[in-house]
Amino acid sequence: MGSWGIIEMGAPLVPRSTQIFLFLRPWVLPVLLLTLLEWAARTLAPDSDAVAPPSRAFLAFGQALMVSSEEGVLRASLFTLGSAAAGLLIGLVLGVGLGTVLGLSKRAASMGFLTIEVLRPIPSVALIPLSMMVFGFGFRMEISVVAFATFWPMLILTQAAARQVEPGLIEVALALELSPWARMTKVVLPAMLARLLVALRLGVAIALVVAVTVEVAANPYGMGYALMIAQQSLAPDLMLAWLVWIGVVGYGINVLMLRLQHALSRRMGEIPQAQRA
Amino acid sequence: MVPTELLRFEEVGIHLGGREILSPTQFSVTRGEFVCIIGPSGCGKTTLLRAAAGFVQPSTGQVRCNGQVVTGPTRKAAFVFQDYGRALLPWRTVSGNISLALEAAGVPTEQRAARIAKVLDTVGLGVHATKFPAQLSGGMQQRVQIARCLAQEPELMLMDEPFGALDAMTRESLQDEVSRLVQETGLTVLFVTHDLEEAIYLSDRVIALRANPSAGKPSLAAMIEVGIARPRDQLLTKEDPEFLRLRRELYGFLGHH
Repeated sequence: MGSWGIIEMGAPLVPRSTQIFLFLRPWVLPVLLLTLLEWAARTLAPDSDAVAPPSRAFLAFGQALMVSSEEGVLRASLFTLGSAAAGLLIGLVLGVGLGTVLGLSKRAASMGFLTIEVLRPIPSVALIPLSMMVFGFGFRMEISVVAFATFWPMLILTQAAARQVEPGLIEVALALELSPWARMTKVVLPAMLARLLVALRLGVAIALVVAVTVEVAANPYGMGYALMIAQQSLAPDLMLAWLVWIGVVGYGINVLMLRLQHALSRRMGEIPQAQRA
Repeated sequence: MVPTELLRFEEVGIHLGGREILSPTQFSVTRGEFVCIIGPSGCGKTTLLRAAAGFVQPSTGQVRCNGQVVTGPTRKAAFVFQDYGRALLPWRTVSGNISLALEAAGVPTEQRAARIAKVLDTVGLGVHATKFPAQLSGGMQQRVQIARCLAQEPELMLMDEPFGALDAMTRESLQDEVSRLVQETGLTVLFVTHDLEEAIYLSDRVIALRANPSAGKPSLAAMIEVGIARPRDQLLTKEDPEFLRLRRELYGFLGHH
């Protein structure tokens, strides 16, 4: 037997100590950075209005968790996430719908081309004054800006996804005389799905960024506004807490999206390389 | 049984992008007949097949199937694409791909499983029903496509160089399998290939096309009956003097002038 025993028994080839090290490795850098910031904030800028030691930020966050008003962690986070999600939903539905039409029909694409290329470069933030006039402060104004911001990438990526549907598959659908509806739902949309999921992940990131931006710039709600309030009330610890929290929320959402993407790809018959014929 | 005509090309000429692909061509295919179309690459054989399927509309003349002018694809004519990798839905299993044909034909859900099992059995894929196309070899993927075509219960099978991308061994076994299937089901087949031996081995009649048709030289170069008895055998048939004579006769049409 000798050294072959390890392989035959299927035991892990890396020793346990290495496994623990591999698990801890991603945490080394953040811990170092936090320690450095803690030290710098305490010794170099003890009375700063801009930076605070992470330990104080942590305490401030704990207090903000208890607050039940608009600036509390729970309500502010829900507002931002809710309006980002609602805006993204609108941008997604319109973008995927219109993008599919533009991708499948050359005539529609040439009709829409100029309009799209002129409207698309408008920075979404530039829309804030207009949407403020139309909707006033609040949920609807933020949704409209997020929808505008996410609509364009969804449109362009969906159009590309529709164009890249294998023409052979569409011919199969035609040869089988599938109805136009069945052709869309059974062939075209599933063929686009992998690319649509990539578009969706991008859309989620944009939606979060734009929602926070709208709150920082104008809308007195949500995480972005809480960040502004912390800044204006000269509370660098709370400001740092919000910054990190927004990052954590974004990270969490991205992890969820990746899981969704993988689960769906597996259901759509994507075969891991090892099992291919 | 009196042989009746299933498919008829009436002076079908096809221009694509200002170029004449097929000069006016006339021929007909009898029910139950296996007709191969051969010719050098660029002679318009695939275009001819696509016109029979209704994917391409003739510039002159018309294609008739069952007496009806073909204006678009119908389920009565099944099309086997050369590139099986692009003709199967990668997100559906083998059964799911077959099911697509049944869904299109409006077969009730409760009847589908039995019919899928039956066609998979016919092509010897029963044990692979739950696999995805990417998990199968090229030959097996092409079998799936043939099975899907059988599931749509066509009268006419249009096959566009279906074995062109397969290795020689797989190609021969699929040739025998298709021959057997056609004999069992009485299907009518129009089969495009550039492999001369494949054409003679499979068909009752070979239609040879010539490249670059012009006024003096129409697309249709020759039409040759293959009278070799069935069932045929990869070794014996290909040593048959009649096979060799036909091979010699058709050799010139593949650009070996």
